[in-house]
Amino acid sequence: MKSIERIQAAINFEATDRVPVIAQVFGHTAVVSGLTIQDYVRSGRVMADCQMKALARYGYDAVFAVMDVNVETEALGSRLTYRPNDYPYVQSHAFSKDTNLKAIPLPDPSSAGRMPEILDAVTTLRREVGDEVLVVGCVLGPMTLATQLLGMEKALYLAIDDPEGFERLLDFSTQVVIRFGIAQIERGAHLPLVFDPSASPSVVPPRFFREFELPRLKKVFAALDAAGALAAWLHIAGPTASILPFCLESGANLVNFDYYVTPDELMSKAPSTCCNGNIKCLDFEEEVPEKILSESTGLLEAFAKRGGFILSSGCEIPPRSRSENVDALVSATRGWR
Amino acid sequence: MDNSGMRSLVDALLDGDRARAVTEARSLRNEGVEVERIVVEGLGSAMEQLDGKCTIEEFNLLEIMLVGRAVMSVVKELFPREVPGEPPRITVVVASLEGDVHDLGKNIVKMVLSGKGYRVIDCGKDCPLGTLIDAAERHGAAAIGISGLITTVISQVKKAKELLEQRGLGHIKVLAGGAALKQATAESLKVDFVAETAFDGVRYLGSALR
Repeated sequence: MKSIERIQAAINFEATDRVPVIAQVFGHTAVVSGLTIQDYVRSGRVMADCQMKALARYGYDAVFAVMDVNVETEALGSRLTYRPNDYPYVQSHAFSKDTNLKAIPLPDPSSAGRMPEILDAVTTLRREVGDEVLVVGCVLGPMTLATQLLGMEKALYLAIDDPEGFERLLDFSTQVVIRFGIAQIERGAHLPLVFDPSASPSVVPPRFFREFELPRLKKVFAALDAAGALAAWLHIAGPTASILPFCLESGANLVNFDYYVTPDELMSKAPSTCCNGNIKCLDFEEEVPEKILSESTGLLEAFAKRGGFILSSGCEIPPRSRSENVDALVSATRGWR
Repeated sequence: MDNSGMRSLVDALLDGDRARAVTEARSLRNEGVEVERIVVEGLGSAMEQLDGKCTIEEFNLLEIMLVGRAVMSVVKELFPREVPGEPPRITVVVASLEGDVHDLGKNIVKMVLSGKGYRVIDCGKDCPLGTLIDAAERHGAAAIGISGLITTVISQVKKAKELLEQRGLGHIKVLAGGAALKQATAESLKVDFVAETAFDGVRYLGSALR
């Protein structure tokens, strides 16, 4: 089977020749290519090159056009500080609670900030792998973009002090996300991952997720589906068991789960939804390959009967992870039927 | 003594209503209630009730931040500045280390510690380890709290105890927490305690510094 067929089969709970494996490696691909993270996050060409080299090195089933969580907010005017060996961070946020959103045009993905670099990367990656390997783009979820535009504390206080203003910000963010996601599909991504860490129950309660985020996520996934996304992949880290029903309601048919959620919990709350996870990401930096192999085997055993599983980490594999540990993750699926 | 004023303060804090909380605290002071008692029975009680609600499954920043904003407003009301002659409070120095610009977790710890009556020195985010240790020495800290959202600060965290010991400050407890650090053990980070939540860390301090 081709990688992409293997992933599609897993999403549809159909038989596969082996369990698919996706290593969530972004900056790590720069490190193994001998480049700095700054090189990686500034250039779509460099990012695509690093991703292709890492694919050749590790042999997993998906490549990513993922830079960092600041692409959209930078495109809207946030000022970033770039660092050689780490991801950039927001120096000053684009919006304040008084920003008139009606006066702000949606960023054009072909020209705003680093958005065109992401589009170049998905085009290059798709040209390189065709329909053999899954090409994954990335957009932030509306909640996460709202917190990146305003700052986390200000955004959360706005939600309480001025709920209508917060909803306007979320609606604006939703439009940005949809436009950027569709552009990625048009330029070659099989799907954009919807990355929404600020919607985690670690940050906001489940009822907040249901009231504020769920309706917007539904819009995002409906728009991406209409644009031809191969699947609806929702990525929220942390203890997400309490919001899993809402994640499914959003239209997601592939959900990431972190180490806080056990396979049994996941399967009981999302019995017929494909999932990917959930090895603790720090283990890739701190542990030995035997431990990664053992954890991977445990997950493969847990999902063997049910299917609908993609072996992965619970969140991003840190940039300076040990390559042998990524090898161990991938090799676990090779000897497993 | 009628405790209705203290109960009203606790309710206002748990509602996240900072204006009402400050008014209630001010009323208690005007009635002659000691600051220490307001901290213990008002702020401390609100913190304990919040702690009870915030299991790993239920812990969320939004709720903590709302209560925290109210608590910090009351702390400012009660301690507009350090007053000579008042009994010294236990000091804890907190920071996010160099390279880590996320300070929300640290701010939550600061709020919980303040609510529990600790004196908190905030060294901010992106703080060099040496600056943090200097501050701990200068302020006579009993503990250092390090919040880390990203794994790249781990190498600095591992050096903290050793640097403290080199300067004769080995008695200072080192606590770590935050999304990246709480995935590790205290032994691997070479710290005294790894906290799952801010409350978890404050509970540890309460027993370790007793």
